[in-house]
Amino acid sequence: MLEVKDATISVGGRCLVKGLSLIARDGQMTCITGSAGSGKTTFLRTLMGFLPVESGFVSVDGELLTVASAPAFRNLMVYLPQEIRQLGHQLRAPEMPVSEADEYGVWNHAILPSAVAAEAPEPLSPEAICELAGKTLREASDRPIVIADEPAADLTPELTEQLLDLLSVQAKAGKTVLLASRKPQLLARADLIFNLDTIRQ
Amino acid sequence: MTTELLIHVILGILLLLIPAGALYWLDRQQLKTFGVAVGRMLVQLALLCVLMWALTQLNSPWLTLLWYFCVTVYAAFLVLKRCKLEVRRLLLPVSGGMLLGVFLVGLWVLGIGLHVRVFDPLWFVPVMALLMGHTTTMMIRGMNTYLTSLKADEEQYEFLRGNGVTHFKALIPFLRRSLLAVISPTVANLTVLGLTSMPLLLVGLFVGGFTPLYAFVVMLMMVVGCISASVLSLALSIVLYELSQRYIQFPGA
Repeated sequence: MLEVKDATISVGGRCLVKGLSLIARDGQMTCITGSAGSGKTTFLRTLMGFLPVESGFVSVDGELLTVASAPAFRNLMVYLPQEIRQLGHQLRAPEMPVSEADEYGVWNHAILPSAVAAEAPEPLSPEAICELAGKTLREASDRPIVIADEPAADLTPELTEQLLDLLSVQAKAGKTVLLASRKPQLLARADLIFNLDTIRQ
Repeated sequence: MTTELLIHVILGILLLLIPAGALYWLDRQQLKTFGVAVGRMLVQLALLCVLMWALTQLNSPWLTLLWYFCVTVYAAFLVLKRCKLEVRRLLLPVSGGMLLGVFLVGLWVLGIGLHVRVFDPLWFVPVMALLMGHTTTMMIRGMNTYLTSLKADEEQYEFLRGNGVTHFKALIPFLRRSLLAVISPTVANLTVLGLTSMPLLLVGLFVGGFTPLYAFVVMLMMVVGCISASVLSLALSIVLYELSQRYIQFPGA
């Protein structure tokens, strides 16, 4: 169980969440929603201990989660980030670059090579995103908390349904599943919804 | 002896009349550029040899180590400049990694592989210079790949951290990429070794009076040393960089 009590979260002097309290229970799919820029990702990152709460607290099964204690708590979590499509190298490690033999040989360099910047991986296809999400969930099947940030942002309705099935299985297995999304298809399947826009008002 | 040597050198340099004459005939404008380049090469070569002469004459291990220290800091500076990296933040870890990596491998090559007096400038300076030259080249590839891949693939790092992986474990994919950036040209060059790159150093050894067997041993040790020194220096530089990020507060950072 993941609990947030009277949490206030600010980034760069801007208050994103004020006095929020919620409980994400085991065996349920809890969804955080809100307009773009409402602080969904920041909120999830705070729950994972990447950012501190200004006031209030976050706890996991009754134990206080802080930035300092977060690394230990993250061993209990599976995380599917918002930019999951950028994780091409997580799915398939980049191959060794092809190099030409230097003109004067590697042991007799006359000229220093130019520094070539490493390239970002090609964005994953929707099918590959689903594959990576499934792989990540399978590999961490013993972890009791699943956190997914806009997991269906780049998926077709069919693949979204497929991913939701995967997440439902996690919830049915007794895990705490916490999502951030604006997708109605996803909200329809959630057991509990927290709208950050409404809470701020 | 010196006068005789001087005369022979001048006569040898006369060979430059061939390319100079060709340029004079075909592209007179480039003649000046060619002359400046040759002049600069002569000065650099002379300075290098004067330095080498001084080090061998004084034969002081401390002076030799001072030379090694200066060369390392300059090499690290070259790496950072070529990679357009922040000197203030990276000079310490990169020069530290190269200093230690090349030195340890160099000691092994000199003391165990070649079994010579380690701090004899006649051995120490050329061996360390060759190892440092190769390491500098590889550090440009390796360090640049490491830092740019961390930037380009920031999501992967965040993903791993979010899934409970420790900072150093989350760096493994990036360490792998930087290692491959170093290994890839090494593999490419090893495959042509003996066709293009081997003769340059090997011919130098033969000219220096080495027997083919001893030249083979020295060449082999240098190749092995170059590969090991570059990988070790890269690893140490990255570890030192990560530690410096954790423990040193840079003003204005």
